[in-house]
Amino acid sequence: MIHKQLGDAELDATVVRALSRLPSHAPSRGFADRVMARVQLPQPSPVVLYRRARAWAAQPRHALALAGGYAASALVAMAFVVPWLLAHLPAIGFTAEWVAGRASGAARRGLLTISQRAASSGAADLLQSLSGGRLWLAVTALTLGYAGCAAGLHYFLRTPRGKDVPVQLPL
Amino acid sequence: MPTAKDLQSLSDQEVVALARAGAESAYRELVRRYERPVFSLIYRMVRDHALAEDLAQDAFVKVLNALDSYRAEYKFSSWIFKIANNVAIDQLRRRELDTLSLDGSPDARTPEQIEATALQATDRAETPLAELEARELGAAIEEAIAKLRPEYRSCIMLRHVEGRSYEEIAEALDLPLGTVKTYIHRARHELRESLAHLRG
Repeated sequence: MIHKQLGDAELDATVVRALSRLPSHAPSRGFADRVMARVQLPQPSPVVLYRRARAWAAQPRHALALAGGYAASALVAMAFVVPWLLAHLPAIGFTAEWVAGRASGAARRGLLTISQRAASSGAADLLQSLSGGRLWLAVTALTLGYAGCAAGLHYFLRTPRGKDVPVQLPL
Repeated sequence: MPTAKDLQSLSDQEVVALARAGAESAYRELVRRYERPVFSLIYRMVRDHALAEDLAQDAFVKVLNALDSYRAEYKFSSWIFKIANNVAIDQLRRRELDTLSLDGSPDARTPEQIEATALQATDRAETPLAELEARELGAAIEEAIAKLRPEYRSCIMLRHVEGRSYEEIAEALDLPLGTVKTYIHRARHELRESLAHLRG
């Protein structure tokens, strides 16, 4: 028995307070597993699969495993390819000579065309007019420019690393 | 793939979006967030632990298998409580369950099961006398709740036990706002009437 004189308002407040203090019940252990056993997960789209594969491969251990697997498969492939090449060497040699002949002829013609155009464009005269110091400066600038483009491309294309990569929701 | 730790900081709508994309961890996060409130609501409706667990499972399976039909402009909590309430109401209509056991579920056999399903309403910070009064009051409240009409019971549970707003309850139970307020008012009146005998 509540040993108090309670008015209606107080009794109402007591009721509300008692309701708010009612305990919260929990299901038994493994409830989530039993639910998931009955849920049909949607089949992910190719885009989602690609993102999952990329995120999986970006982890260092997985990347190392992939690289090791690639190296091992390359070794196995070479173990089959090299004996085959050696066994068919004469035919391969004839084919290689034919291809090289065609390629070298095309390369020779290409180089001749380039050199003729370079000679007629005045670029050769310009280069010859440069003194030793200016020539080295031009070569250095060209090299640094090429290296900068390569570094920029590397940073642009690299995979994000670290655990704080924000969750990306698929569009 | 987002980890469980990443998911905890996301809103319900964001977790649902990940679940729709096929992330199993997102499904588990939704279960983790709502298993206690949903189970509590259903348990207080049907008063049987094993049955409540089966019904709660059914509710979650219905919700998670129908995520494509969930509309993000509504609160996810309202949607899941609606389905849970409907599952409980359907069961009550089938079985016409309106009994309550304060001393543990009628299916409890071992002392541990009895203790696990017995109703307790104590505050450890209280004095022994206050604790006794709170225990008596809690038991009386539970008994009184069991006698309420199912729709009154749902409204009063969602309002004062789960702490949902009137608008959320109206959305969850698909009732007009005025009807929700009326049900809660009448439920509190009936609970006061049930507890009036405890006045000194």
